[in-house]
Amino acid sequence: MLCQNCNQNEATTHIKRVVNGEAEEHHLCAACAKKLGYDHFLDDFSLSIPNIFSSFFHDTMPALSRAGVEHCDTCGSSFEDIVRSGMVGCADCYEKFFDRLLPSIQRIHGRARHAGKTPHYTVEPDAPKTDETAAEPAEKSVESQIDALQQEMQKAIESQNFEQAAVLRDKIKELKEESDK
Amino acid sequence: MKWYENAAEHADVVLSTRVRLARNLKDYPFPARLNEKGKDEVNAIVKEALLCGERAQEFDYVPMRSLSHTQCVSLAEKHLISPEFASDSAGRALILSKDEDVSIMLCEEDHVRVQVIYPGLSLEAAYEKANAIDEALSQKVSIAFDERLGYLTQCPTNLGTGLRASVMLHLPALARSGAMPRLANTVAKLGLILRGAYGEGSKPVGDLYQLSNQVTLGISETAAIRNLASIANQIITQEKSAREALLKDDVFIDRIWRAFGILNSAHMLSCNEFMDLVSLVRIGAAEGVLNIPLQTLTRLMVEMQPATLNTAQGRSCTAAERDVLRAKAVKEALR
Repeated sequence: MLCQNCNQNEATTHIKRVVNGEAEEHHLCAACAKKLGYDHFLDDFSLSIPNIFSSFFHDTMPALSRAGVEHCDTCGSSFEDIVRSGMVGCADCYEKFFDRLLPSIQRIHGRARHAGKTPHYTVEPDAPKTDETAAEPAEKSVESQIDALQQEMQKAIESQNFEQAAVLRDKIKELKEESDK
Repeated sequence: MKWYENAAEHADVVLSTRVRLARNLKDYPFPARLNEKGKDEVNAIVKEALLCGERAQEFDYVPMRSLSHTQCVSLAEKHLISPEFASDSAGRALILSKDEDVSIMLCEEDHVRVQVIYPGLSLEAAYEKANAIDEALSQKVSIAFDERLGYLTQCPTNLGTGLRASVMLHLPALARSGAMPRLANTVAKLGLILRGAYGEGSKPVGDLYQLSNQVTLGISETAAIRNLASIANQIITQEKSAREALLKDDVFIDRIWRAFGILNSAHMLSCNEFMDLVSLVRIGAAEGVLNIPLQTLTRLMVEMQPATLNTAQGRSCTAAERDVLRAKAVKEALR
């Protein structure tokens, strides 16, 4: 079996990870395993997780070749660069490639809406008492949520991502019904 | 006083608590897309924002280029910086508090990584400290933030709160009972990671394990911290009851005393041998078999690592020289 990272050398290192309860496996050659930090004696937060991240993107690749290469206006990264390195180029890349990044982000985190503090926001919303990872999103006006979702839906339609648009439409409907209660 | 010289809550099982916040400046590409000049600019902006007023006295600003390789590795051994940060010094700087409880890596994977390390189990306090620094930073500079995705980070695994919290657990009894693989599986389902803190393979060096959160998006800081604290407490309870059973065994008590005997009399100690023995002595000290303050052992576990020993000597020693120095320092500390 060839190394999943470089696709050149024979894979000799087998890595199993469990993310959100789902097991995933990676086969790497010695050089890539080393490059990705699997040979360190010292272990820490930054190890391996970000680098392995690039593998999350792989299913989004075919869509990319059809769409041609787009670059972020701010830092010049293409979506391909992000996939290759597992690193996003700058803050604006998240805006530019939002639709394509979102499925991977959802796969990593399960949820794709921030629920923590915001800059300049000194008092934190008190999270509900729960021993699960689930916490309700931070308080935000329903109107602004609907607004944001509608914009997302518009984008999804423009990029012909109808499946996502339908999900967003349902969410908007749900929110509207709730706020009418 | 360094952080590890203080007594702490749950120190019998928990060596240390770390909390890290990842932040980026809005107006600069992330470090991988930034040249050295850009990194120097980012570092200067953050330094200016954070090291003003009283804080200027409390912290040192250290360009990584000014340190030797051994000094860098020593900082990594003490978990003040990541091994990756130690491996390349170009365009990087460290803001370090005098007692080494706060370390801020500049231009590591993100522009700013604020880390707080406290002894024992102290998640809330560590988060509060890190948060205060984050607040000070965001008053002065624009932070990359998005309402949907939270704090924007170079690697999407840190999106949202950018908060990674971890506790270093000493679990000799659970490790001996063979419960670790099952425990690691269980916590993984709760969005946490439990893994050996040092070394590879099924039995980590010194029975030290690290428990940390994985998910950062869609969960608030408070909930993430509470979640981790709750699981850490459950593991502590399990370890304590496993210890109770273990300490009824005279053979195990004998092993503790023998480990203490070797640490007290050896002329040479390799790092691995020391870690194995100190693990036994630590459980003895925590459970009242031996009368040694836990912080003495925590300090040894930090300071007896190879590069940290070299740095304290001010020179590079051979492995054999280090083993002699280590044995001598351990004997003095346990006297």
